[in-house]
Amino acid sequence: MVITICIGSSCHLKGSRSVIQGLQKKIQDNHLTSKIELNGSFCTGECEKGVCVKIDEELFSVSPETVDTFFEDEVLRRVN
Amino acid sequence: MKREFMTDINKIKFEVYREVARMAFDGKLKECADEIPYNIIPGNLPHYRCCVYKEREIIRQRVRLAEGHTPLPGGNIKNIVQVLPAACEGCPINRFSVTNNCQMCMAKKCMSACNFGAITFESGRAHIDPKKCKECGRCVEACPYNAIADLMRPCKRACPVDAISYDEEMIVQIDDKKCISCGQCIVGCPFGAISDRTFMVDVIRLMNNGVKVYAMVAPAIEGQFGANVSVGMIREAVKALGFADMFEVSLGADFVSKNEALELEEKVKAGEKMTTSCCPAFVNMIKKHFPQVADKMSTTVSPMQATARLIKAMYPDALCVFIGPCIAKKSEVIDSITMGGADYALTYEELYAMMEAKGVDPADYTGELQQGSKFGKNYSVSGGVTAAVLQTYKERNEDVPVKVCKANGAQECKKALMLLKAGRLPEDFIEGMACVGGCVSGPAMLNKERTFMKDRNAQIAQADDRQIIANVDTYDEYQVHMHRR
Repeated sequence: MVITICIGSSCHLKGSRSVIQGLQKKIQDNHLTSKIELNGSFCTGECEKGVCVKIDEELFSVSPETVDTFFEDEVLRRVN
Repeated sequence: MKREFMTDINKIKFEVYREVARMAFDGKLKECADEIPYNIIPGNLPHYRCCVYKEREIIRQRVRLAEGHTPLPGGNIKNIVQVLPAACEGCPINRFSVTNNCQMCMAKKCMSACNFGAITFESGRAHIDPKKCKECGRCVEACPYNAIADLMRPCKRACPVDAISYDEEMIVQIDDKKCISCGQCIVGCPFGAISDRTFMVDVIRLMNNGVKVYAMVAPAIEGQFGANVSVGMIREAVKALGFADMFEVSLGADFVSKNEALELEEKVKAGEKMTTSCCPAFVNMIKKHFPQVADKMSTTVSPMQATARLIKAMYPDALCVFIGPCIAKKSEVIDSITMGGADYALTYEELYAMMEAKGVDPADYTGELQQGSKFGKNYSVSGGVTAAVLQTYKERNEDVPVKVCKANGAQECKKALMLLKAGRLPEDFIEGMACVGGCVSGPAMLNKERTFMKDRNAQIAQADDRQIIANVDTYDEYQVHMHRR
């Protein structure tokens, strides 16, 4: 599974770096490093929804505060 | 500062970047971006194309690229290298075509050379049936009059990994699964119909928002702004743009030399082979086209990542922006968001546009800077990585017999990787650089003229002769982690 995080300036200011670190930690804690790949992307033009995170082609709006629930509700469900 | 552009395409690309940068610095890009096509193409008469409306549409698509978007809404967002559909002329796709030189000779060697029966003779010359032609090129070699022209589209010819095809309207398409972001098609297209997305607006916006942004200039920088503009002067100019400071990536290159040499020593002793990992287009080539040998790639980070990690160890809040002659570095940034390294990558073209947008000329500043050794500085020249790695053995008085394959340019990289994959590579170590000559001939260089290499070499000759390992050891306290993970 590929999770793509927008690294454009708008998403950066909304905390994309913390979202990346949060997801990285969750992936490690759950021993999923071989199953999930984290990639960056250019601005997707949906800045108002930032931080823009895509699982394959599906867009989610994630913030540093919601990264844990996002991982549990959306990522884990799709991995298993 | 006044600059001669290599082609009109470079000039137009620059003008778009400069206008976009100017508006981004002023914080009014969103409201005013629509004006850019009219600023760059004024009046009613076309200069290069059929009409001004087409020319302005091309500018519009270039503005979107400069903002980091795809040229058209809904385009393929995965690739750095993008096609400007309005600019693509859909060149003739029949690759081999018979010219007036055909003498309608008696031998008809072209016909007998063709294994597919594609050649017939009618109305005074040979004729190639495009439906039967398999583009093998035997007829070209066979004709004693050189009468058959190879009209392979320049973008396709430039691409080392066969990532280019055409849609039903003959417009170029780039396969993101094959593209290694080397940028050769950008340089190769004579109509400027292929270009790269930029992070320039993102970087300017973050500086406008008070984020501490550090610039890291690639080792091809010496001489890019003229014979008399030193790296120290460029650093002051970069700070005048709003960057917190500027570092030399040749310093990170020294870190890489030290670490990669240790890695190589181990591999050679174990009888294993290794490739470099500093050229991102070479790394992309391994990942996308030779995944079977990915485990042979050095696990040392690239000089860009090493420099960024060092800066972040010094200033934990730093945002690190690579600036170089390379387009593939943008893909490295995107693929390595978990590495704690570079946050964005810009090109020299984009840096120059930012300077012009702000009226900053490095020639007006004074300053001195040397962070990397001469060996680090020569990472940007084919053979330079090897020379630096071997230098560290000398500095440690170690004798490590390494047989080196210098793969200079994407074609040689491909050949070396094929041999490695087949287990038939005679050498121990592949130094892979996707640009012929190294980064100094990269697709986003401002100046590739012969005078540039003269200026560059003269500047580097003035640098001190510090040793690689001693240079790295002065940063011991920061404990820069050199592994990819």
